[in-house]
Amino acid sequence: MRDAFSAALIKAAQQDERVILLTGDHGYALFDDIRRLLPDRYVNAGVAEQNMVGVAAGLAKAGLRPILYGLSAFVPIRVLEQIKLDICHENLPVVMIGDGAGFVYGALGASHHCTEDISALRGIPNVRILSPADAYEMTRAMELAFAVEQPVYIRIGKCDIGPVHKAPIKYDWGELIEMRPGNGDLGFIATGSMVKAALNEATRWQGSSVWSAPSVKPLDIEQTTAICRNHRGIITLEEHSIYGGLGAAVAEISSTYSPCWIGRIGVPDRFAQYAGSYQYLRSEHGLDAAGISHQVDELMERVGHVHRGLSKSPRTEILASEI
Amino acid sequence: MAYAGSTGHIAPAFSIIEILAVLYRSHLNLGDGTPDSPERDYLVLSKGHGIMAQYACMHELGWLSSQDLSRYFSDGTVLRGLSDALVPGVETTSGSMGHGLSIGVGLAWAAKRLGTNQRCFAIVGDGEMNEGPIWEAFLFAAHWKLSNLTVIIDNNGLQAMGRVEEVLRLGSIAEKLQAFGFETREVNGHDEAALDVALQQLNKVDLPCPRAIVAKTVKGYGVSFIHDDNIWHYTRLTPETYRAAMGELDSNKKSVASRS
Repeated sequence: MRDAFSAALIKAAQQDERVILLTGDHGYALFDDIRRLLPDRYVNAGVAEQNMVGVAAGLAKAGLRPILYGLSAFVPIRVLEQIKLDICHENLPVVMIGDGAGFVYGALGASHHCTEDISALRGIPNVRILSPADAYEMTRAMELAFAVEQPVYIRIGKCDIGPVHKAPIKYDWGELIEMRPGNGDLGFIATGSMVKAALNEATRWQGSSVWSAPSVKPLDIEQTTAICRNHRGIITLEEHSIYGGLGAAVAEISSTYSPCWIGRIGVPDRFAQYAGSYQYLRSEHGLDAAGISHQVDELMERVGHVHRGLSKSPRTEILASEI
Repeated sequence: MAYAGSTGHIAPAFSIIEILAVLYRSHLNLGDGTPDSPERDYLVLSKGHGIMAQYACMHELGWLSSQDLSRYFSDGTVLRGLSDALVPGVETTSGSMGHGLSIGVGLAWAAKRLGTNQRCFAIVGDGEMNEGPIWEAFLFAAHWKLSNLTVIIDNNGLQAMGRVEEVLRLGSIAEKLQAFGFETREVNGHDEAALDVALQQLNKVDLPCPRAIVAKTVKGYGVSFIHDDNIWHYTRLTPETYRAAMGELDSNKKSVASRS
């Protein structure tokens, strides 16, 4: 996915000479190509993220198309007020990349974990939020981001888990992508790294549908409502806090337009307690295959689902290396 | 304005009025004279608490009407209590300190990259220099040799809750700026002629570095009972203090007029 990002960045910069990348001293090998091909369009702004965002706002006001890169723990979290006041208040066209979202930097600890970026940004007017699940969604995310004249945040989470799509895909703002058709009791709506987990869990539930939601904000109200209407229960999955992220967005729409049971699977409201690998932290927060199955079972019991024996079927085992 | 809107922040506006007057009168290229002019030089009021002074200048330029000013701070109007980039001619949204300078650096840098002749003047409060991003912006401006950037420090020695030297000691601002790589001058920020000379000198200097002026100012300059008294960061005018302040300002104006 990061290769797709790099390729899309170079393409955007080659197509539009106003595009300039600023990084907060991160992305060591990621920018080898742009540094080689378009050296004057790559700027390391130093470990000074607050200034970097303000500078980007100034560049955008003057007509350039800056794209900011940082780890999501820093862009947007460290610089949230700069994003709100300097960029979003004036609705300036700045693309912001937050890399390593979720538990990607597992063992490094709380400073590098980021499970609150979507909720922190969702309440700020004007900013759009994309959370691609694989390289194909990433490529499209960059196209969408540079096609609008307003702030866009692209969340890059765990990106070495392979594709969920088989070919390049065109999705639009707000659109949910149907990954698995189904009209059964249960529907899954997932984003980013959790789309793959949703597809795996869905094999336990006959007739369940799976949707990828790369555009967390906006999220299409009509389509989300239709999906909720089509199922008795919806499970949302994200490598993000259960507060304020995709699950909250789906629940907000559902509760207003088409109430149904919503089970929000994500990071519980606590920091990671111990050091650990990405896989370890996923399981610590109930986001490994077993943890997800357990939470889905709980929801379906609440919904009063009659299992019809389906849950007895052997679950597709997911190797730790695959999540 | 302050009386009509019953607002505070009178003292921080009085601290920078001469700086703004000199900039607008003699140093800012105003392009076609409208706030939307694409060739216009940039004026960034990073210390947005002094916005009333800028509104007064924008009124003189015809960018704001008398009615705009008289309705400052009131419901449903455009002019808010702190600088706001949604007002044409105001570059940044301040009030939260330490934002404007970085945006000004971005504007100056964009002008360099795009090959325009635009310059950027950024007014930063000494209290605002408590904020970390100000120092990040100094580093960045010097690193990128932004010779079209002039930072003017409004050195009135007061911040919201007390003396700058008592809250977080700054020491010599000029020496700090010089050390960061700025070509720096120190002047009396209420002496328009001195400001004029300093700005002209800095404009003529042929050095690949950003410029700075440390303007020694007094918060509330121009009215004896507001002069250097921090309560006027907050206090609103009563009919009596309004009349007294206007009386002093009018007589100052007359004495300036009779001198010139």
